[in-house]
Amino acid sequence: MKEFQPIAARPAPIKTVGFTAWLRDNLFSSIPNSVVTLSVIALLAYYLPLIFDWAFWSANFTGTTEDACVKEGACWVFINAWSYQFFYGTYPVEEVWRINLTLVLLVMVIAASFTLPKSIRLKASITSWLLLPIVGIAILDGRWLGLEVVSTDLWGGFTLNVFMAAASIIVAFPFSFLWALGRRSEMPFIRSVSVIFIEFFRGVPVLSLFFMGSVMLPLFFAEGTNVDKLIRVWLVLIFFMSGYMAEVFRGGFQAVPSGQYEAADSIGLSYWQKILLIILPQVIKVSMPNILATFVMLFKNTTFLLIIGIPEVVQTLQTALSNSYWLGGHALEGYLFVFLVFWGSCFSMSVLARRIERQMNTDKRD
Amino acid sequence: MLALGIKDYLIKTPRYTVTFRQFLTMNVDENDSLKIVGTLVAVEKEQQPTQKRIYIMAKKALLTASILAATMTAGAVQAATLDDVKSRGTLTCGVSTGLAGFSQKDENGKWSGLDVDMCRAVAAAVLGDSEAVQYKPLTAKERFTALASGEIDMLSRNTTWTHTRDTSLGINFAGTNYYDGASFMVMKDLGVSSATELDGANACIQAGTSTELAIADYFRENGMSYKAVTFDTSDQTRQGFESGRCDFLTSDGSQLAALRIGLANPGNAVILPEVISKEPLGPVVRQGDDQWFNIVKWSLNAMIEAEEQKVTSANAADMKANGNPANKRLLGAEGELGANLGLSADWAYNIITQVGNYSESFERNVGMDSPLKLARGINASWRDGGILYAPAMR
Repeated sequence: MKEFQPIAARPAPIKTVGFTAWLRDNLFSSIPNSVVTLSVIALLAYYLPLIFDWAFWSANFTGTTEDACVKEGACWVFINAWSYQFFYGTYPVEEVWRINLTLVLLVMVIAASFTLPKSIRLKASITSWLLLPIVGIAILDGRWLGLEVVSTDLWGGFTLNVFMAAASIIVAFPFSFLWALGRRSEMPFIRSVSVIFIEFFRGVPVLSLFFMGSVMLPLFFAEGTNVDKLIRVWLVLIFFMSGYMAEVFRGGFQAVPSGQYEAADSIGLSYWQKILLIILPQVIKVSMPNILATFVMLFKNTTFLLIIGIPEVVQTLQTALSNSYWLGGHALEGYLFVFLVFWGSCFSMSVLARRIERQMNTDKRD
Repeated sequence: MLALGIKDYLIKTPRYTVTFRQFLTMNVDENDSLKIVGTLVAVEKEQQPTQKRIYIMAKKALLTASILAATMTAGAVQAATLDDVKSRGTLTCGVSTGLAGFSQKDENGKWSGLDVDMCRAVAAAVLGDSEAVQYKPLTAKERFTALASGEIDMLSRNTTWTHTRDTSLGINFAGTNYYDGASFMVMKDLGVSSATELDGANACIQAGTSTELAIADYFRENGMSYKAVTFDTSDQTRQGFESGRCDFLTSDGSQLAALRIGLANPGNAVILPEVISKEPLGPVVRQGDDQWFNIVKWSLNAMIEAEEQKVTSANAADMKANGNPANKRLLGAEGELGANLGLSADWAYNIITQVGNYSESFERNVGMDSPLKLARGINASWRDGGILYAPAMR
């Protein structure tokens, strides 16, 4: 009987799990990859300390004037001193609770739309969404509530970006739904009007629309009739937004199977019953991701208002940079701040959007 | 409208009985025109009972529209900005969205600057309160529309007084509150004190500006040469200058001052005294309201005259009581200067006590008491060798 001869032990297999394996797979899988990895590490090792040094260790945090910025690094004193204006514009300090209240209302309405019991959620949230712009304007302007009137040229800062975006999308929402219906209508007049409207506002850059609203429109008004500049651009934003959203809705309408339309017809529902009770709920569900994406786009577009001199946050920053007591070159700090504020709000919106999509996604799990 | 061939109608109102053609060329106030529209429609119904309804309706709409349009034009001619400002209680003034020393907002949202002081002066003259101003920040593109549409009462936004603007835009320049012009900035260690010593130097210039043309003319005129180093933005120009890529930087004088502060070490740079192009900046009003034009013009002149007479915000009260006749006339203790403008007698007194004379405003905003440290240069009073000169105050 032959004696059992074990073959020589093979080397241990290359680890396929764990940190080293991950490193090997992702960062050092080939020679070019390794070179890239090492150079990136070298660059980070060189620049990160410089950036951290600029932003934190040699940065100036305390003080109220530019003279306080004695150290080499970033002058966060600039952001700190101007933070009120970056957020609230020139809104009077003693009235600023009105802006905060409006922001709280906005958050509450958003929260209510997802947390109220299902039996009342739809009606309650639609009502509150439609009331919100009116209530918001009443609070911010104040004349309908007997508060001190704060004229719109004092409004500004980041909250103006938020309010302009929110107020435009809320008003544009029902209109865009009607435009989308109009575009699918079988009546030639309504259809062509809708197509012309939608294609005009989708085909024209928002910058040129702002110029129309701010420079051209007043020339057509009668002498002495001044429509407030903010209202003019609000209208522009509403038109622009409803053109875009109409196409989002149209996509939603097309995604609803024709069987749904036929089924609604066959049980004898009227046109509006069919649209409101059967089709629209499905349309909103399908279009939600696109609606939220469009909203994020509009929100960022509100910074374009600076080219017509509306003191939104970027315009406020430029005004701050041109103040003769702050001329020491703080553009980097300022734009970094605007970047962080916008990134923060857009990122939280997309987190919220994903949550909404999951909640609404009742039939398709993916 | 008349070219469309509409018949001439008789218009009866409580105050006028005129033909429609006459009506188009006359001035009426808005209340009358509303009555006119009502009467006109009634008259027309009687005259045309048998015509097709739709035809009448179209004509009526056209007539109403043209009457309203005519009233608006008439209104534009008659509009009394002074009354509007008084009844509103505030002056709406168009300013820049941000220009160091001229119109700038501070951390607390308070506006200041040489251009802003012009707004404050007019508010002080008209309303007696230099703080009763509503500032409308405007971009360069919007400024004339905002003025023409009545959104603002006056424009004080470092606007260059040019022939084309003055004659073709329906606006009037009410004077010059800052004579700007292209100028030069050099490093101190270059040891240059006049632009005539810059022969053969390298120039940092922003591409595509009128300065580019002005400097070419200036050097050719003086038989000198230079080498241009152009940049796209003013910030890049400053960095180029700072890193030593050129010997001097050229731009508008007031801009140079702001660029200078942006340098890592502003003390190392000096602005040379030569000014090589004309950029007279001043307040602007709508054409067709001469009283308002006068008020803005003389508000500026009052500040300039006050400096000539050495009346300041500190001594104005004393001068009003004990000054010479010219002081007393200016400050409203004697004479009719205020009444002639349709203002109270202490209009100029209010300007000087609340805003200050031109010198005070200049030094506070762009001069030695400000970070910009601009020299008076040609913006000095004519008594001190400058070109600021107020017409006679009597």
